[in-house]
Amino acid sequence: MTSRFTPRWYAGATLLGALLLGACDFTVTNPGPVQDSQLNTPSAMPALVNGMSGDLSFALGNYIDRGALFAGELTHSGNFAAEGHFYRGTVTSDDVIGDWGRMQTARFSAEDGLRRMQQVLGSGFETSPLTARAYLYGGFANRFLGENVCTGVIDGGPAQSDSVYFVRAESLFTRAYTIATALKVDSLAKAALAGRATVRAWQGNWTGAAADAAQVPTAFAYNAIFSTNTPRENNDLAVQTISRRETTVWDTPWDSTRSDPRTPWDTVKTTAGKVQTGQDGKTPFFRQKKYTSLGSLVPLAKGTEMLLLRAEERLRANDLPTAVTLINQERAFYKLPAVAPTTVDAAYTQLEAERGAVLWLEGRRLWDLRRWFVEGKNDFLANRDKCVPISSTELGSNPNLN
Amino acid sequence: MIRPHLRPTALRRAALAVVLSLLSASPALAQRREGGTVTGRVTDRASGEALVAVQVVVEGTRLGQVTGDDGRYTIVGVPSGTRRITARRIGYVQETRTVTVADAGTVTADFALAHGAVALSEVVVTATGEQRTRELGNAVSTIDSSVFANAPIRNTQDLLTARATGVTVLQNSGQPGSGGTIRLRGVNSISQGNDPLIYVDGVRIYNGRTSTSVSGRQSVAPLNDIDPADIDRVEIVKGPAATTLYGTEASGGVIQIFTKHGTSGKPQWSAEVTEGVNNMGHVGPASDPTGLFFNECRGPDLVNGLGVKFEDPTCPASGSWLRNAAVQRYSLGVRGGSPDGFRYFVSSNYASEGAVLPTGGNTDGGVRANLGFSPARGLNVSVNSSLLKRTVTWYPDGNSANGALLNISRGPGSNFKGAGCSDPTLVCVLNDSLFALNSFTTTNHFVTGGVVTYTPIEQLTNRLAVGYDYNDADISSIVPFGYLRVPTGTYYQTLWNRTLITVDAASSLKHPFGANFLSTTSVGGQLFDSRLRSTDLEADNFSGPGEPTLISGSLRTINDVSQQRVINAGFFAQQEVGWRDRLFVIAGLRVDGNSAFGKSFGLQAYPKVSASYVISDEDFFPKHYVETLKLRGALGESGKAPGAFDAVRTYDPVAAENGQSAFTPSQIGNPNLGPERTRETELGFDLTALESRLSVGYTYYHQHTIDALIPVSQPPSLGFSNPQLTNVGELFSSGNELSVALDVLRRDNVGLTARTQFSTFNSKAGNLGGQTITIAALSRSYVREGLPVPAYIGKRVTNPNDYADPIYEDDAFLGATFPTRIISPSLSLTLFRSVTIDALGEFQRGGHLLNAMAYQNAFLNSWQPCYAAQNAMRQAAAGDASALAGFTALQRARCTLSGTERDYSLWVESSDFFKLRQLSLTYDVPARFLRGAHSASLTFAGRNLYTSTKYSGTDPEVADQRDNSFSRRDYYVFPTYRSFTASLRLGF
Repeated sequence: MTSRFTPRWYAGATLLGALLLGACDFTVTNPGPVQDSQLNTPSAMPALVNGMSGDLSFALGNYIDRGALFAGELTHSGNFAAEGHFYRGTVTSDDVIGDWGRMQTARFSAEDGLRRMQQVLGSGFETSPLTARAYLYGGFANRFLGENVCTGVIDGGPAQSDSVYFVRAESLFTRAYTIATALKVDSLAKAALAGRATVRAWQGNWTGAAADAAQVPTAFAYNAIFSTNTPRENNDLAVQTISRRETTVWDTPWDSTRSDPRTPWDTVKTTAGKVQTGQDGKTPFFRQKKYTSLGSLVPLAKGTEMLLLRAEERLRANDLPTAVTLINQERAFYKLPAVAPTTVDAAYTQLEAERGAVLWLEGRRLWDLRRWFVEGKNDFLANRDKCVPISSTELGSNPNLN
Repeated sequence: MIRPHLRPTALRRAALAVVLSLLSASPALAQRREGGTVTGRVTDRASGEALVAVQVVVEGTRLGQVTGDDGRYTIVGVPSGTRRITARRIGYVQETRTVTVADAGTVTADFALAHGAVALSEVVVTATGEQRTRELGNAVSTIDSSVFANAPIRNTQDLLTARATGVTVLQNSGQPGSGGTIRLRGVNSISQGNDPLIYVDGVRIYNGRTSTSVSGRQSVAPLNDIDPADIDRVEIVKGPAATTLYGTEASGGVIQIFTKHGTSGKPQWSAEVTEGVNNMGHVGPASDPTGLFFNECRGPDLVNGLGVKFEDPTCPASGSWLRNAAVQRYSLGVRGGSPDGFRYFVSSNYASEGAVLPTGGNTDGGVRANLGFSPARGLNVSVNSSLLKRTVTWYPDGNSANGALLNISRGPGSNFKGAGCSDPTLVCVLNDSLFALNSFTTTNHFVTGGVVTYTPIEQLTNRLAVGYDYNDADISSIVPFGYLRVPTGTYYQTLWNRTLITVDAASSLKHPFGANFLSTTSVGGQLFDSRLRSTDLEADNFSGPGEPTLISGSLRTINDVSQQRVINAGFFAQQEVGWRDRLFVIAGLRVDGNSAFGKSFGLQAYPKVSASYVISDEDFFPKHYVETLKLRGALGESGKAPGAFDAVRTYDPVAAENGQSAFTPSQIGNPNLGPERTRETELGFDLTALESRLSVGYTYYHQHTIDALIPVSQPPSLGFSNPQLTNVGELFSSGNELSVALDVLRRDNVGLTARTQFSTFNSKAGNLGGQTITIAALSRSYVREGLPVPAYIGKRVTNPNDYADPIYEDDAFLGATFPTRIISPSLSLTLFRSVTIDALGEFQRGGHLLNAMAYQNAFLNSWQPCYAAQNAMRQAAAGDASALAGFTALQRARCTLSGTERDYSLWVESSDFFKLRQLSLTYDVPARFLRGAHSASLTFAGRNLYTSTKYSGTDPEVADQRDNSFSRRDYYVFPTYRSFTASLRLGF
């Protein structure tokens, strides 16, 4: 048999096929995700800084529910296993995979974003209001970590003391304050002062803390932004207590009174007139009313906390009258009657209650319990885990931790 | 935005060049048809009945026809002279007649074929074109329409169930219309999916599933959009050794579906009418008299483990949430053709079935037109098109707060509490409210393709296939205004669209050399252009009642948008050498480019080699007991590409600061990313014995996946919490496949055929760099070195059967996720040539399933099997330690009242089961009773009639598909149901 289709013909066909293939551009289309390099433009900076805010709110909004269970601010009334562990104070590295990741993303987002902003904005970096905001978010993100986690881990590095976050936070707050002051953006400057006051106190610099705190008006508040706009912007504690019944105020120190405007809650009745139970079908559901919307804001800094910080500084100096005065200034702000503890110890007990109420469900209580436990002033954390451990994801993936 | 792409002009030029080259090489196009006609009828030698779908070909040419319902065929244009006419069909021994054809003359060649399950002359379709099975070094399973013609199958997935070795089909859900999970030879990829590629009449279609319903927690598989009544046969090519030439993505195997085509002759109509009912037996543990409060939703048994009684005034009048739901299926088709070679098969179908709950069901309807013509000698053109529209109505199910099983099984713990109960002292639940949720998926699936086959000379075959697969889906869940759990309502909608363009060309040249050798050289190439458009929308807070749209909500959110285009193109070359038509050696190479590989990655080459030796053709082979024996072996590679932009560091655009634009870190990136590669070795044999009454096929395979793409967790302190796809792992998979078919009895009035498919699957993770890969932590699903993929790992009770407190071992291997052994026995009994009883069963062994429903309900005091143990624990806690004496450590662990001891791991159970998948009785109406029809049959059939399992949940096959489709977790997934149907089939 003879054939026109000789090996040479096939070689030609193969070559033609290869040429056709080579003529194709195999680049793919996938609009949506933004490549890293595409953010290196001044026009991307506002969204970059908004992202820092969003990541901080996302981390905080998801954690305050579990943080409240961990610190005894709420009782578990649902079915989620991790929440049960937080409530019982037996938090494992598996339980905090999400929280650890979101907290670290919030920190990285701000700190890495600042590096990018410096590179992109050049000389305009120091004079941009965006810069002040970015430093502020970095400060609060670091404070959030320092107050709640057990161990410091930065950018895949080795384990460090958790105090590393407070050190970084103070530096970032100071930069925020400096730039905001120069730009005359008072709200950012006050927020930076309030943030720095707290982390100075947590590092033992109570004098410096009180000095910063004194510059913050009582009515001042700087909030983490939440919104009903998208689920990612929701306040998840509100989700868990409005859309669901996962946590309850029942059986907490705050379930005895319904007249304190700082710790509002109510009950939901069934048609039979009984108190509605939680998602677990058995625990009475006392619904927190501090956050009544999925878009309710969560304070990051408040003037009333500054009063209590100053009061605590005074108590540590055994200045009872001034401390009580400051406590009552805080109570007066909430239209609550004055208190009159007669000893420093009694005043300290009152202060603990005041901080518990003022900072209720803001993700701050655990740190107070941690430091007071170490100082022998509060034993809630006895026989309980004291802080958020390194997540199992970090432990399993970070070679510097082994 | 990341930009394109394959230049469309280049594409068009390439396609045009291929077409023009084919056309320019075909002077025969202009030739006038000449030659004679060969016609005849093919019957079953045992029964004498007409055989449909028999391929009758003129040897040495590309001429051929397929018999119609009356067994007749007509081949025109047969070159004059002495010609060998061969008739072959799967399951029968091939026969050849020699006829003399004269120009313009007609000659008759009738055939009476004998049964024979392994016929080495069968022709299957490979990447290079049609090939005889005797030449193949790898196993190909074929499911012929005759096997399932009478079976109560709803879709392609049912057709594949328990009918071929190496095939695992898991039903996933009792939702009518939901797609199952299909695996060929188990799992060989962790991250890139294990769904086999699917071709329909040479055109590749999307092999995944639509987006998953928010409320139904299941999805629709486009594979099921091919009406079983239209399917002629299915060929299953299982591993990389066989799929190398199909290119990247083929390591999960290939399923080729061939639909019916026209035959020359007068129109032959076929019609089918099926009516029936879906029915559910007892739901959940047999010890629970209420069937998880589904079988009973009224009466004194409505009480949980704490003695809390409840009432549901919305319980249906029947006292049960279950109902018998109607099943209807209708199809009508016609096939025929003209003497000049024009052929057609046109069909339409409609099917509807309801769920066994107050809502839910599937309705689909479609049309198909398969046209073929031969414009010139050696040139065949077929154009095949189908359109199917489907509407699936989902009942809320799975891991959803509105789920039917989640709420009803929790008794007084239902999320749907309200007023209206007659006894105010009881917990009042209103579970009917949950069914007010309107969840549906509507799909349109259009497939069209043309295949041109040109054989200018006997030794040369050219094939060009161009196809277009279009899928769109509207996946909506509407929580109406006034809904008990969410009074202000919510509307979720996913608009999903996937298209796939196929361009596939191949040429083969046969060239004899020497006295005994035949060379077959093949070259070809494919191009696939895959596009995805998907938008997730949400609206909340409707202003009032009425039928809502997305703008009815005051809050409107675009939750996600995906717009991807991936292009995969490659070419192959294959050389086959045959020796005396009994020894065949094939070597091939596939070279692929994939747009997802990244610019620096270049082309990927996948080699293959195989050998087949029909040793029974040798003179020395003793044929006393074994008539045919083929030994075979194959070695080949295939791969899977990472997804689009998996290599790039990215940020996601999000909203922050109350709706302002923002970015958040998404993926850390890995510029060194490449495809994973699976190498497979398979060895086996096929034999027939006992006068072709016994056929046996055996295959051993071993797969080794290197550079396995694994989503590796990055240190979250680096800021990117999402895992990064990385080539770090290796996986192993091996197994045995044994297929046995035996004609037990062949008598005039009795025929009994027994078949068994036996498959083993052993997967194991190799070197993973020492790390354990988390697939889904709450499903306790991980990949770890030395364990099956994926494995359940977690807390284990080391003294499960001791009457003592449990002793725990942490981080223990709890079992393989997927079954490791599947046995599928089937019987076909024919009586008096008119009554046929078919039975098909399936054992699945070695798999496990996390019974998350029991885990949750036990802690909520709503898991009846735990009531006694939990009461004993309460007594023990009150001081009577002896109360626990009769309970094992495993019972105490699973039913624990302690929140700190409970763990999902404790509820990982064996998912072993036997199911009687299908049972049917068919009566073929004798011809003397037929008026105006040439065939008629009546079938009574049942599906899922019997299940035997120790799994304590509702069904060992189910899994929530929104949690994770790689791991499996039974989180309140409603079980599969049974069906009873009666079908009337007419041919006229």
